[in-house]
Amino acid sequence: MQEATFLILTALADGSQHGYGIIADVAEISGGRVKLRAGTLYTALDRLRADGLISLDREEIVDGRLRRYYRLTPDGARQLADEAARLRANAAAALSRLNRAEVAT
Amino acid sequence: MNDPTGRGDLERRFRRLLAWYPREFRREHEEEMLAVLLAGAADGQRRPGLAASADLIGNALAMWLRPSVPSSARAVRAAVGLMYAGAVLEVAALLTMVLTTDSVAAAVARREPAQWQAVHAQLVATEIAAALVVAAWVWLAWGNGHGRGWARAAFLIFFALTTVNVMGSLAQDGATYAPADLTAGAVLWLVALAAAVLIVTPRASRCYQRQPAG
Repeated sequence: MQEATFLILTALADGSQHGYGIIADVAEISGGRVKLRAGTLYTALDRLRADGLISLDREEIVDGRLRRYYRLTPDGARQLADEAARLRANAAAALSRLNRAEVAT
Repeated sequence: MNDPTGRGDLERRFRRLLAWYPREFRREHEEEMLAVLLAGAADGQRRPGLAASADLIGNALAMWLRPSVPSSARAVRAAVGLMYAGAVLEVAALLTMVLTTDSVAAAVARREPAQWQAVHAQLVATEIAAALVVAAWVWLAWGNGHGRGWARAAFLIFFALTTVNVMGSLAQDGATYAPADLTAGAVLWLVALAAAVLIVTPRASRCYQRQPAG
């Protein structure tokens, strides 16, 4: 799973969000490191929706502009959980080996 | 023309960039993308930034080129990848030719001064042909990636023509770019061969529509 995909799914993990909300949330989660742009975001949202990982939650018109809210599907939540577990296992392995190396020296 | 904030200008320019996307995608996402783009714009901004423009156009092109056959159709996906690789190699060959046109023509002219113009014209003709071949690789990759039956047939014809061309260069000695030209031709032919084999497998056949349109 690419990092942008992982962060988009994470942004949707605790509730539905619209496009601009996802961009702001992803920037916050990544500590300002990942700034999604509209083209990249909607290409990803389109693909994630086609793959059944997210779905359309609702639409609103705010100041005459369309806002669409997306939410995670059960399948999307499962894949995000799998990926998070994988990343945690990798991180734990890295940290424990670094600790061991530190103790040895 | 009463647009002191420049929002109207900016919106029109964003729409022009969004026009790069496939129609179906635009119907689905244009309005919300526009809302996101405008929400992210600075006050008084009249033109899309360079990075935003590059992101929109780059993603639009990628969307056009990306195969739409299911990712389970591995053979067709692999063939499409090879066709794009063919296009990239052909571009590399074309660039080499363009960059060396003058020096090659000059080298020939030193031996046969009367021939300079003819050789130069021939090189330019070869370069135009190579540019058309690049377009053919991309077009066929797109068609096969979208499961179009005509694209499969067209690729097989393209492969046959490539074969004839390589055989022709092998038979004829004294090609202008002799060894390098032959090597490039042979590599491209192998790429085409692999792609042709992949798209005629029975498993690949299921990904192609019978009707050319739709």
